[in-house]
Amino acid sequence: MRRSDLGEFEEVVLLTVAVLAPNAYSVSIAEELEIETGQTVSTGAVHAALQRLEQKGYVTSQLGEATSERGGRRKRIFTVTALGGRILNDVRQVRNRLWDRIVPQVTLKWN
Amino acid sequence: MKKSTNPLPDQPPRWADQLLEWFVAPHLLEYIQGDLHENFHKRVAKVGIARARREYLWAVFHCLTPFFTKRQTIKSSYSNQPSTVMLSNYLTIAFRNLWRQKAFTAINIVGLSVGLASCLLIVLYVLHELSYDSYHAHADRIYRMTMHARMDEKDINLAYSTGPSGQALLRESSGVEAVTRLRKEGAFLVKHGQDIIKEEKVAFVDSNFFSVFSLPMMKGSPKNALAEPNTVVLTKTTAQKYFGKADPIGQSLTLGNLGLFRVTGVCEDVPSNTHFHYDMFGSFESVKTGDKWLASGAYTYVRLREGHSLAQVETISRGFVSKYIAPEIKEFFGMDFTEFQKKGNRFGFQFQPITDIHLRSDLDDELEANSDAKYVYIFSVIAFFILLLACINFTNLSTAGSASRSKEVGIRKVLGSVRTQLVTQFLTESVLLTFFALVLALVLVFLLLPSFNVLSGKQFTVNDLVNGRLLMGAVVCSLVIGLLAGSYPAFVLASFKPITVLKGKLQIGGRGGWLRNALVTTQFVVSIGMIVATIVANRQIQFMQNKKVGFDREQVLVLHDTHVLGAKADAFKAELAKLSSVVKVASAGFLPAGHTSQNVDGVQIQDGARTATHRTKGYYIDEDYLPTLGIGLAQGRNFSKAFSTENTSVLLNEAAVRTYGFKNPIGQQISTVGDGSAGSKRTYTVVGVVKDFHFESMHQHIAPLVIFYGKDNNQLALRIQTNDIPTLLQKIEQQWKATTDNPFAYSFLNERFSKMYQSEQHISQLFAVFAGLAVLIACLGLFGLAAFTTHQRTKEIGVRKVLGSSVTGIVTLLLTDYLKLILIATLIASPIAGYTMSQWLRDFAYRIDLPWWAFALAGVLATIVAVLTVSYLAIKAALVNPVKSLKAE
Repeated sequence: MRRSDLGEFEEVVLLTVAVLAPNAYSVSIAEELEIETGQTVSTGAVHAALQRLEQKGYVTSQLGEATSERGGRRKRIFTVTALGGRILNDVRQVRNRLWDRIVPQVTLKWN
Repeated sequence: MKKSTNPLPDQPPRWADQLLEWFVAPHLLEYIQGDLHENFHKRVAKVGIARARREYLWAVFHCLTPFFTKRQTIKSSYSNQPSTVMLSNYLTIAFRNLWRQKAFTAINIVGLSVGLASCLLIVLYVLHELSYDSYHAHADRIYRMTMHARMDEKDINLAYSTGPSGQALLRESSGVEAVTRLRKEGAFLVKHGQDIIKEEKVAFVDSNFFSVFSLPMMKGSPKNALAEPNTVVLTKTTAQKYFGKADPIGQSLTLGNLGLFRVTGVCEDVPSNTHFHYDMFGSFESVKTGDKWLASGAYTYVRLREGHSLAQVETISRGFVSKYIAPEIKEFFGMDFTEFQKKGNRFGFQFQPITDIHLRSDLDDELEANSDAKYVYIFSVIAFFILLLACINFTNLSTAGSASRSKEVGIRKVLGSVRTQLVTQFLTESVLLTFFALVLALVLVFLLLPSFNVLSGKQFTVNDLVNGRLLMGAVVCSLVIGLLAGSYPAFVLASFKPITVLKGKLQIGGRGGWLRNALVTTQFVVSIGMIVATIVANRQIQFMQNKKVGFDREQVLVLHDTHVLGAKADAFKAELAKLSSVVKVASAGFLPAGHTSQNVDGVQIQDGARTATHRTKGYYIDEDYLPTLGIGLAQGRNFSKAFSTENTSVLLNEAAVRTYGFKNPIGQQISTVGDGSAGSKRTYTVVGVVKDFHFESMHQHIAPLVIFYGKDNNQLALRIQTNDIPTLLQKIEQQWKATTDNPFAYSFLNERFSKMYQSEQHISQLFAVFAGLAVLIACLGLFGLAAFTTHQRTKEIGVRKVLGSSVTGIVTLLLTDYLKLILIATLIASPIAGYTMSQWLRDFAYRIDLPWWAFALAGVLATIVAVLTVSYLAIKAALVNPVKSLKAE
């Protein structure tokens, strides 16, 4: 697969969309990422990543419900597409294979 | 932290929101803004309002990337295809539509093509006017040296310079590359074999004339052809006239009293856009040019060296006055230079770019009557306005016509047509329409070219139109017009909302209404103004033609060039007088209309101890002159052969009597100054006073005139009394041929008189033409407006009819709207036209009062035309069965 068109941040966002399904939208994704990574993640960065993912066809979106703190504006709910899922899978398998080939002595040294 | 001015404390900054709404693409805005707001509220709870706001702002700025600002593009399935596929469909639809609305299409095309045609003609004229003398190589470096003087408190601006000045300039200024001179010596009777032809266009030029001016030589050497005296270069046409197909080189011609000339060259005809048009160029050496600065003259052209400024040459020419002219002052004026200057007299030279001569030079003794840049401006403005009015009309009519196509637009939109496609479609249609109009305009121009040539005094041929870049320009221009004029209706139509349109509601109108009214009013202002101008100009010309001029101009025949008869003149006159239909014959070198001899002299009046000098025009006439021309005597007597003292007798006109202050003119003494020498001074006794007659055009007041006894045989005037003029002319010609072999030429005094006002007649004709055009265009505009509004008011008319309104009532209702516009137009146009025309009339010493009825007449005319235009539509609308107009809800 064309591994190169999925950036690291995009990959994490895509994973988070899968994690938060069926309620993944920009704000919740950003919060989740903050909790998971311990670093601040701006909503704007997530917006951009989501839009790129949508262009590539890895996620789809539809407008969801509105809340008062959003000023009556609807959310855009993202879901991972089949293609997106396959890409995630591919990426994971490449990593797994690589992990599996690391000799145990090397990993011991890291700890 | 200080709370900001925001009224809602827990809201993000308003302006940041507005910024966001402004630049983020509409399809992304909702959820992005929602997300930012949600985040903001969470941050407020966590870190406080101030910091949340800063963060919000920061987040907003983060959205300032093309990522968010890029608008959604509609992916149409057509958009990727080459547009030629749709173009053929657009053309088909366009043709069908134009064909369906034949009347509308015709009006639209005719209106635009009239505008285009007149614009084309005017552009043709203006380009030709602007192109004068620009074809010469280095035209930008060629200047004409002119002479300017002030003498006796009178400015003298001459188109020529003194004879030696050019050569002096060549000698003394390093910046001058070449100097060439031209002299005109009037008309010549040119003899070739047995033929004698009168040639008016003869010039004598330096041998380098053909290297300064780009008049290509076809035969002979451009450098040496005119190096010797008594050599002549002919133009192609003239050479053909004299020698046919034979080789003219080496042949000879006799030029009047200058003797035999050898033809040494043939050049191309002088292009029409030159400030001189000569048929023959004799060598400069053939004519005598004095070497005195104050008693010689030649048209002097100077070509500067590349990179040299005119200023340096001007400085040197200023030095000429003290260097060369001052010594001659004593000789000619009998005073020294300082005294001469003290009296306010001066001399000077000026240089005018050769390309400026035609449009910007109005000096004494120009080679030809020049045009005026003013006319070029006026014509350009008129062309622009006509085109503008035509374009506005085109837009107006197209918009009005498009009302009927709203359903088509609705359907197209429902079937998936996007804005760009609709706009392209309607633009295609309007470009198509303008090209039809262009073709029709070209046809019109071809048809009108002959009459336009008469009107403009030019000789344009079809080639001028087809050859030049003009045609290319016209095509590009109509493409631009099509796109510009079509863009408004195109965008209006493309913006129709399919639902409302398909429900049967029209969306245009309303806002554009006042604009349309204003446009139509403007058009009528122009039309009414033009009509007024035409009426006033016509009245003034009629006034001048019919005014009693003080002489009887009917039935007076003038024979030209009778000086060639020499000693035989008296015998010839006697022969003519014997003819039954000839009443009287007089020597008439001086005539009040057309070609005339000129004489001006200083007249001194002894009034007590004081002597007053008046510059007065003079006539030399014989005893038969006054009865022949029907000029009346106010006092005293006419000249008569019975008195032997007539050489010292003089007649005055009434204006002269007034000016000289004579209470009792008969017997008074006057003396002439002559050229200042004692021998030329003479004293005369007044023997009679003639009634004032217009011996100059009506632009001037009747000036004082002194009439001396003498014979000027340049022309003969015959008072005739016959209805069969051709037979009389034949008889006279026979007499002439029996006496001399010179060509016979004649004219009639009344024709010569009419010709004096030719330029006024041209102006009046032009006004009439433009008035016609303006009215036509205004009518088209009005028709468009009326068509549009009646269409919009169809339902209203239906309801009115149902409620019992009569047809007349409805027609009146519809007409009143337009009559209001015309009334306003009349009110606006009257003062403008009145002011302009009174300015024009100011040029005439004898003029009509501004006829106030002209304004009313113009208004009434405009109203009639407007009513005729609109009533067709109004009556048609009023006659429609209300059932039809109301059922389509």
